Amino acid sequence: MTGGHNPSEERLLAYAAGTLSPPEAVVVAAHLAIRPQNDAWVRALQAVGGRLLDDLEPEPMPDDALARVLARAEADAGQVLASTPLNDMVGLPEPLRRYALGPWRWLGPGMRARDVHAPRDGDCRVILLEIGPGRETPRHTHGGIELTCVIHGAYATETARFDVGDFEEADTEVLHQPRVVSPDPCLCVVALDGQIELDGWLGRLMQPFIKL
Amino acid sequence: MHGQVSTYQRIRPPVTAVGGEHDRLIEAVALRRDREAFARLFEHFAPRLKAYLMKAGAPAGAAEDFAQDAMLTVWRKAELFDSSKARAATWIFTIARNRRLDVLRQDARRTPMPEIELSQEEPERPDQIVLMAEDALRLKSAMARLTADQIEVLRLAFFQDNPHSEIARRLDLPLGTVKSRIRKAMIKLRTLLDDEKGGEA
Repeated sequence: MTGGHNPSEERLLAYAAGTLSPPEAVVVAAHLAIRPQNDAWVRALQAVGGRLLDDLEPEPMPDDALARVLARAEADAGQVLASTPLNDMVGLPEPLRRYALGPWRWLGPGMRARDVHAPRDGDCRVILLEIGPGRETPRHTHGGIELTCVIHGAYATETARFDVGDFEEADTEVLHQPRVVSPDPCLCVVALDGQIELDGWLGRLMQPFIKL
Repeated sequence: MHGQVSTYQRIRPPVTAVGGEHDRLIEAVALRRDREAFARLFEHFAPRLKAYLMKAGAPAGAAEDFAQDAMLTVWRKAELFDSSKARAATWIFTIARNRRLDVLRQDARRTPMPEIELSQEEPERPDQIVLMAEDALRLKSAMARLTADQIEVLRLAFFQDNPHSEIARRLDLPLGTVKSRIRKAMIKLRTLLDDEKGGEA
């Protein structure tokens, strides 16, 4: 185990197996790029997957399958695999640089967000959220899951502090009000499912935040 | 090529014969575009890749296409295979893992999924757990120490689509119990692989 706030074991396993939904996988990938110990564990789990694959009961392939693959290999001989261009936010962990980014949107004083054009899953999407020192989000809960990984700076909730690389899993049960505690702005990547629900009349004044 | 590779090879015990043989076959594809070597890899792995996708609920035809695409990737990327970092089965599993979501969700998504790259540079101090997990014998003995229930949830977690709810349905368990069973299996596996004596404690 490693220090700090990490994804749950079952979420790391789902990532390793490739069964996690794309937006959630993007946030986990960002976390792994910052936390080498967890990255190593996910790589170790690939070996478990390899062993389970090796142990599977084979399903017979059509007779011409090999010939068809070799023909396709022949057809594209020498083809260079295009690599995805990287976006211009050089401070991001590498997995996030592979996605195009939307424009920054103002959410309130000292608070802005931009979309990460990663694959969506139903209503679940990925955003970058930047909040200035000493600022806090309106107190809110979620219509679905909210996964957060800190990229720069730090924030604290009522119960815990989250530093660079830390991973927070919140769901519909969690009502929280993260507050930035670092001297610099805090930048997070967030997978958000469902509507954000604000608590109280003051929160409802923060309409742009709801549109995240 | 990488500074840490030679150290790693020194402390790494020999892999089992079959696993090692598959490693050599991928290297032959990388070095000489060896079709005979590729045919033997295909014979072993393509039917398992087909079975892998069928476990996730794909029809036979789609699973055959998936297996062929994955094997084509093996051919194209063979140069990236590094037997000091991963065994053949591990490397091919990762190729399948990286492709599965694109195939199972039938939309024409152009944006790439986050991929696991086994061949990329390791962090400065490669975690020991990787070395241990890639020791085929150690992994085998660690997995042999899991209970039948734990192996079953791991297998379902690796192969099912929507694994948590599918496991709950299959084993007739509440979702919370499934998650805690997965968690226990993972922690036990971690402990067994972490432990230098392979889990004597």
